[in-house]
Amino acid sequence: MAFVPPARHLLRAKDLADARYSEPLEVADLARAAGLSRAHFSREFRRAFGVSPHAYLLTRRLERAAALLRATDRSVADICLSVGLASIGSFTTSFTRTFGISPTAYRAKFPPAADYALVPACVVRLYGRPQRSTFREDNGARQG
Amino acid sequence: MIKLANAQLWVHDQDEALDFYTKKLGMEVRADVTLPEMGNFRWLTVGPAGQPDIAITLMAIPGPPVMDPETAEQVRGLMAKGFAGTIFLTTDDVYADYEQLKSRGVEFSEQPEERPYGIDSGFHDPSGNSFRLTQVRELSTV
Repeated sequence: MAFVPPARHLLRAKDLADARYSEPLEVADLARAAGLSRAHFSREFRRAFGVSPHAYLLTRRLERAAALLRATDRSVADICLSVGLASIGSFTTSFTRTFGISPTAYRAKFPPAADYALVPACVVRLYGRPQRSTFREDNGARQG
Repeated sequence: MIKLANAQLWVHDQDEALDFYTKKLGMEVRADVTLPEMGNFRWLTVGPAGQPDIAITLMAIPGPPVMDPETAEQVRGLMAKGFAGTIFLTTDDVYADYEQLKSRGVEFSEQPEERPYGIDSGFHDPSGNSFRLTQVRELSTV
């Protein structure tokens, strides 16, 4: 088999974040999936995708939470847990910092899911993932 | 009348791709022709059983003079990062196909989930090309 481009291993880690964001997944798990040390992995992931793995995983979770707030009537606590975040307090803080409004206010802003155009899930995932990254772990690193 | 016949994907390695598309995805080989007079260019196409008039062309990333090394490297990079393109597959039983493909070693990045338009899942091929596998809801029931 031919030499595999290094970025393909990074995509494997990104796929893992997309597939298992609902579990208590951490950056160390993603680094393992890519077969790299944690520090090297974080650097390479950011270089390939323009965002740190920590921020990617968190924004994936927030994007899923936002989609569930728009499309379901499940409680904020339930949604928080189902996107792999254990603390409702820090979920609410991250969500509010990222989207500019609280989860409850966000839900109130959007019409029921049935009013939406039938946009494929991959589009929702790519375009719905929030870009803002002012997370503590990113301090000192260049923002893409 | 214009019809869709073939769509082309770059692949990292044609043998690896052939194995994935036939043994894991269950597609048929439509053509596998190597042309010595064209620098051993290999025309490799696969397609879903039951759709004989549509095929995916699995094309190796060429070197010079067809493609300069820098461009080839960019294509390889885009593909490996999952941004080279997407194939949208549909099925009438996404849960059954998900289980079957998974048992053959396809690594899904998204397991089947309910969406407004149907039940949708996703994965990448070994090269990094994106795939959707969707059980589309009858529009009349939406």
